Amino acid sequence: MTTLISGTAGVTFPAGGVGNPAGAVVGTTDTQTLTNKTLTSPTLTTPNIDSAQIPTVSGTAPLYMCRAWVNFNGTGTVAIRSSGNVTSITDNGVGDYTVNFTTAMPDANYSSVASCSPSAGPNQRVVVMNFAGTSNTISAPTSSACRFSTSALAATADVEYVHFAAFR
Amino acid sequence: MNQRIIFPTDDGVAIIVPAPECGLTIEEIAAKDVPAGKPYKIVDVADIPTDRTFRNAWEYT
Repeated sequence: MTTLISGTAGVTFPAGGVGNPAGAVVGTTDTQTLTNKTLTSPTLTTPNIDSAQIPTVSGTAPLYMCRAWVNFNGTGTVAIRSSGNVTSITDNGVGDYTVNFTTAMPDANYSSVASCSPSAGPNQRVVVMNFAGTSNTISAPTSSACRFSTSALAATADVEYVHFAAFR
Repeated sequence: MNQRIIFPTDDGVAIIVPAPECGLTIEEIAAKDVPAGKPYKIVDVADIPTDRTFRNAWEYT
């Protein structure tokens, strides 16, 4: 098949040819949707991925992403080093913190993990999740915040490196 | 962010430490993260003691 150029009919591309591919042509407007297409090594510039479930690169188990995280210093001038989806932490007292999420979790049934450094020397510190160390009471997580304490053997204690992450 | 939000609690005083990357103003953080109905103050970080030896004895005035 050849491309026909006519003085009266203009240019005619053969069906299925380079200039007239078979099927719908997409990508000509901003609102067109690609469905069931395979993209090989695509570069996505600031994509907005709505789903929390993303295929894995190996195996078939799904990935469930971290929904909020924070790294902060719990000693001296308590300060956040870096974070994601966290507006603030609340310093409730010695070794007693609440992480406040920027965008709330779907519910309070997320899984939260935290870790911390020891104090100077080999003095161990542990993290006790969902615990208000200042009042020695359980603190149930909410969709918007999670409270936990860093503790020595018998009492809450401030530590220099505190890390928290929430998964859902 | 060199500011903090303080509010009273049953056990003393709580201090809200803003996340530098959150994109909210200190007033927006206060509106969002201070428990409903609690009075609060926005203070300079320099006004918060760095010696936390008696942290649990701090009071909101």
